[in-house]
Amino acid sequence: MDGIHDLGGRQGFGLVDVNEPEEAFHEVWEGRVWGIARAMTRLPDWNLDWFRHCRELIDPVDYLTRPYFDQWVQTYAAMLVNSGAATVEEVASGRSQSIVPGLKPPMPSEAVQQAKSMLVRFDREGTAEPALAVGDVIRAKAHGVTGHTRLPAYVRGRRGVIEACHGAHVLPDAKAHGDDRAEPLYTVAFDATELWPDAAGRRDRVFLDLWESYLERA
Amino acid sequence: MTEHNSDKVQHIHRELHSHLPPEPALRVRALESLLVEKGMVDPRTVDAWIEVYTEDIGPKRGAQIVARAWADPEFKQSLLASGTEAITEFGLGYAHLKVVENTAEVHNLVVCTLCSCYPLSVLGIAPAWYKMASYRARAVRDPRGVLDEFGVRLPESVEIRVRDSTAELRYMVLPQRPPGTEGWSEEQLARLVTRNSMIGTERDLSHRVGEVR
Repeated sequence: MDGIHDLGGRQGFGLVDVNEPEEAFHEVWEGRVWGIARAMTRLPDWNLDWFRHCRELIDPVDYLTRPYFDQWVQTYAAMLVNSGAATVEEVASGRSQSIVPGLKPPMPSEAVQQAKSMLVRFDREGTAEPALAVGDVIRAKAHGVTGHTRLPAYVRGRRGVIEACHGAHVLPDAKAHGDDRAEPLYTVAFDATELWPDAAGRRDRVFLDLWESYLERA
Repeated sequence: MTEHNSDKVQHIHRELHSHLPPEPALRVRALESLLVEKGMVDPRTVDAWIEVYTEDIGPKRGAQIVARAWADPEFKQSLLASGTEAITEFGLGYAHLKVVENTAEVHNLVVCTLCSCYPLSVLGIAPAWYKMASYRARAVRDPRGVLDEFGVRLPESVEIRVRDSTAELRYMVLPQRPPGTEGWSEEQLARLVTRNSMIGTERDLSHRVGEVR
């Protein structure tokens, strides 16, 4: 979707806070959100891409002004309501009025040590043969889609070169909307001068990981 | 199965906006107490996860990998070829790690313009600036301006390679080993490596040689 989250190349956001203290969490509640996110039971229709899409759907003003981990609270709250596990009133009050049928007990604290090094794979070997090869010149599709996608606006319609092939990876555009299928994934290199008028004379490049259906031969 | 409908979720966000408590800390407290009552969260597990990401999982893990790569050319080769397989022995649990090398001619800078993708299991929780609009917007368009704010000034002859983390590959920068560190142990070398040097917002680590020696 052409949402507020698609920030690459936007101007007017000012300086980066380079003096931020180097610590995991600056507020107690931030750590709490992180811990809740890791500890909580996932509902059957949830996945990482759906989480990202639900965050993208936050009201644009809130997206730009609310602290990062506060956006996570908003996102999980919306996912709970969408899945029918809670009502807006329950999330607002913090009091449960109903149970969610069929849930297993929540993750116990003893499980954390093992869970912290669990591998989650997103590649799906042998499910789709790549049509493109390293060195091929491509053009990213000119138009976005209405649902979730990982093709940022700033490369749409631009020419790039295939830098690497990674085999088939789960396609977020489908997965976010409940359809688990894989597509070849490539690292694509774009010259800065192809992307930005202000990059004239620079030899810098921008690399993105893009799925095959985002690309066409140039 | 419920629907994954964008319009519906947008509507829910607006409803929540008008009904949730005004402060982030209060919103979090309400969410946690609700999830505990629903049997979806054990608060002791929340504590345990906070402890893991405060004490255990952080940039020192990435620094160990960098130090090994500096000390062991064979390890470095396999790390650059397949980060995931090379770090298996560290037990860090990373499915798709891609390590990119800085050289005299190349500087890498990692960003996620669409959300906040970051190599959590080797660098820990991402800094807030990494997740804010300014860095996400500018890193791909004005990397030299961003680097300048971090005190990194690169000659035009050095090519910047910005890595926008749009898929599940997670990027970590292998910084250049500073001169004057020949014969150092991996433990000493690891102490030179900063978090920002593995994101690419720091480049030259030689000013740390005196501090660590």
